[in-house]
Amino acid sequence: MLELLLGDARTPSGGYAHSGGLEAAVAEGLGPGEVAAFMRARLHTVGRCQAALAAAAVGADLPGLLALDGEAAARSLVAAVRAADRSLGLGLLRTAAVLWPDDAILAAYRGASVLTPRAVALGAVCRAAGLGRRAAARLSLYEDAAGVAGAAVKLLPLDGARASGWVAALAGEIEELAGEAVATGIPSTATPLLDRRALSHGAGEGRLFAS
Amino acid sequence: MGGPVGTGKSSLIAAVCRVMAGELELGVVTNDIYTTEDARFLREQGVLAPERIEAVQTGCCPHTAIRDDISMNLQAVEELERSQGPLAVVFVESGGDNLTAAFSPALADTQIFVLDCAGGDDVPRKGGPGVARSDLLVINKVDLAPYVGADVALMLADSNRRRGGRPTLAVSLRDPAGVAGLCAWVGRQLEAWRRGTLVSADPGAPAPHRHAPR
Repeated sequence: MLELLLGDARTPSGGYAHSGGLEAAVAEGLGPGEVAAFMRARLHTVGRCQAALAAAAVGADLPGLLALDGEAAARSLVAAVRAADRSLGLGLLRTAAVLWPDDAILAAYRGASVLTPRAVALGAVCRAAGLGRRAAARLSLYEDAAGVAGAAVKLLPLDGARASGWVAALAGEIEELAGEAVATGIPSTATPLLDRRALSHGAGEGRLFAS
Repeated sequence: MGGPVGTGKSSLIAAVCRVMAGELELGVVTNDIYTTEDARFLREQGVLAPERIEAVQTGCCPHTAIRDDISMNLQAVEELERSQGPLAVVFVESGGDNLTAAFSPALADTQIFVLDCAGGDDVPRKGGPGVARSDLLVINKVDLAPYVGADVALMLADSNRRRGGRPTLAVSLRDPAGVAGLCAWVGRQLEAWRRGTLVSADPGAPAPHRHAPR
C-alpha cells in the first residue's frame, strides 16, 4: 500500500508544478501525437538514470546518500533542472518527515543534503517506508511518466484518459527498466535536447510549470 | 492574501509593503497562474528589494498550491528566509482564483481575502470560505463604486451578515486611510503572533456539507 501512496499525486510533494520538460517541448511544436514518444524517450534516458539512483539510495546510509547526491548532480548538466529536481526532492522529504518522523537516516539526510535530487530522496523515503530497491526504481520511473502525462492534459488538447493510456502502455517497459536499475550501475545518459530547452524555459513568458 | 483575479491583491501588498518595509523585515511569495507577472509588478514597484520577492509556478493549479499541496510555497518561504535572514511577515499572494479557494492553515498564519467593487456588489452575498471565514475581508477599489454602479454599503452589510463578527475593511488605494487600516490590522496580527495568541483559523470547505446519511 505504501508504494501506491508514494506514487499517488495526491500525496503532496509539489509534483503538480512540473512537466518534465514537456512544456518547453510543446512551446517548440511538440503535438499530442508525440507525447507518448516523449515519455518513452525520458524513461530510457533520465528515467533509467533516476531509477538507478533511487534503487541505490534504498541501501545507502547518510554518507552514501550524500555521495549519490553528487552522482545525480554530475549527470544533470543544467542548473534549472537540478533546481527543479531539488524542489521535488525537498517536497518529498517534507511529507516523509511527517509520515516517518522517527527515521534517523531520513532526518539526517534532510538536514545535511544540499542538492537533494528527487531520485535520491525517493530512495531514502522508500527505505523508510520499508520498500525495496525495485519498488523505488519502479516508483521513480512511474512518476516520471505519470508527471508528463498529467502535464500533457493541461498543455495540449487531450482527453486525460488517453494520457493515462500512454502510461499504462509503458507498464511492461517500466517493469523491465526497474529490473535493469537494480542490476546495473548508475548509467550516464545524455539528453541534449531536453537540456537545451531547459536552459531557456526558465526565462519563458507565460509558462505554467516550474520545469 | 487571496481572492479572485483582478481584485488588486498585488497592489494592496505593494501598498502595505511601502508603509511597513521601513519598520519590519518583509518578504513576498507570489503564485502566478500563467507568468511571473505579479512578482515582476511587485519588483517594479520598488517597495522591497527584488530578492525579497519569490514567484512559484503552480502548473495550472493555484488552489492546489495554497491548499492541498503547499510544498512549493513553503519552500519559497524557507528560501526567502535562508537568503534574507529571519522575516517578520511573509505575504503569500494566491493566484487569482475563484471564491472557493482558501489557504491551508499549515501555510498561512492568517488570511486576507480580497474582493473589489468592480467585480460586482453581489459577490459578498454569494459567500464562500474566503468571504465568510477569512480573518480579514477587504472590499477594494471602493473609489470605483460610483462609476460601476456598486453599492459599498450593501457589500459591507452582506459581508457582515456572512462573517459572524469577523472584520471587513473598505479600501481604496487612492485614500491613505484604507491602507493605514490594513497595515494596522497586519500589525495587530503580528503582535498576536509574537505573543503566541494568534490561532491560524481555517476558512475551510466551500459550504457546510456532509457525505454520510443523516
